[in-house]
Amino acid sequence: MSEEWRLLKTGFSNAFANMAIDRAILHANSEGLVPPTVRFYGWKPPAISIGYFQSLQEEVNLDACKKLGVDYVRRITGGGAVFHEYELTYSIVIPEAHPKIPKNIMESYGKICGALIKGLKHIGIESEYAPINDIVVNGKKISGNAQTRKRQTVLQHGTILLDVDFDKMFTLLRVPNEKIRDKMIADVKERVTSIKHILGKTLTFDNVAEAMKKGFEEEFFVELSDGELTEDEKGLAKRFEQEIFSSKEWNHRR
Amino acid sequence: MQSKSVYKVPNGKLLKIFLDYNEKSNLINKICITGDFFAYPEEAIDIIENKLKGEMLDRDELVDRIKSIVTEQGIKFIGLNVEGLVKGIMLCKHE
Repeated sequence: MSEEWRLLKTGFSNAFANMAIDRAILHANSEGLVPPTVRFYGWKPPAISIGYFQSLQEEVNLDACKKLGVDYVRRITGGGAVFHEYELTYSIVIPEAHPKIPKNIMESYGKICGALIKGLKHIGIESEYAPINDIVVNGKKISGNAQTRKRQTVLQHGTILLDVDFDKMFTLLRVPNEKIRDKMIADVKERVTSIKHILGKTLTFDNVAEAMKKGFEEEFFVELSDGELTEDEKGLAKRFEQEIFSSKEWNHRR
Repeated sequence: MQSKSVYKVPNGKLLKIFLDYNEKSNLINKICITGDFFAYPEEAIDIIENKLKGEMLDRDELVDRIKSIVTEQGIKFIGLNVEGLVKGIMLCKHE
């Protein structure tokens, strides 16, 4: 019988709650309170997340965020700025010492991305891992991923684009020079794709989540069983949301 | 003197450095290392920034200094390396 991991479908939350929940799961797992966990979630309102080391002012047009009702949050993971709107976001939390996760960071990116690649196959999309942290379809990025390791625990989260609004994305993200905005959008359109662009039709969040669940089960030889956040995790997430992720001190620290 | 550099690390990520240094003494007052790279543990970048305060803005000295911090702290970079980081810092000086 295959090992059982927890599957969380936490629906759509705001940016601060989303990042707080991932961190709370990491803490709970590091204390042995919960099993390895895969979580699927979305963002409401839409939001920009920036990498741990990025400068907020440098990457994000804060006025545009305010005008368009888009939140922004700093992640605990490195990597780049992401506009989260039409996408499925996943996270996986697992002890570093777990035999199913490679000790080597790059190998573990490859392993987790392998689950997403298998999931995409279930909806008829052939994709491949493009190190460092992307998944591409015919050379175009469909998924970005970011991993941290804290408390002897691995947390990786990432996105699978269902659709993408390039113009909105580049209104919200700062471009180095307004004169090259159109060229940048054209370049990114050449480099980024989505499920809708590939299949020519819209798949629902739930359709894609179901496919990704199968992908994780196949890649890791585990069974994902529907679960809930524990009361401890909910309390911790609320605290992280208030004290860290929604605070100016955290989001503006660089 | 305050300056900024933007440097794409070869085969890596985009590094953006904000540097405050003394033009006469060539010493670093304050440095902020930003970008879409990965560093493990993440706190490593704060440590490097703090330890570079008061250091000489000299390529070879910075490479040696950062290499020793990386070894001492067991830091792993992805999408960044010591040479790339120092290149980004030195670009601030030439601007």
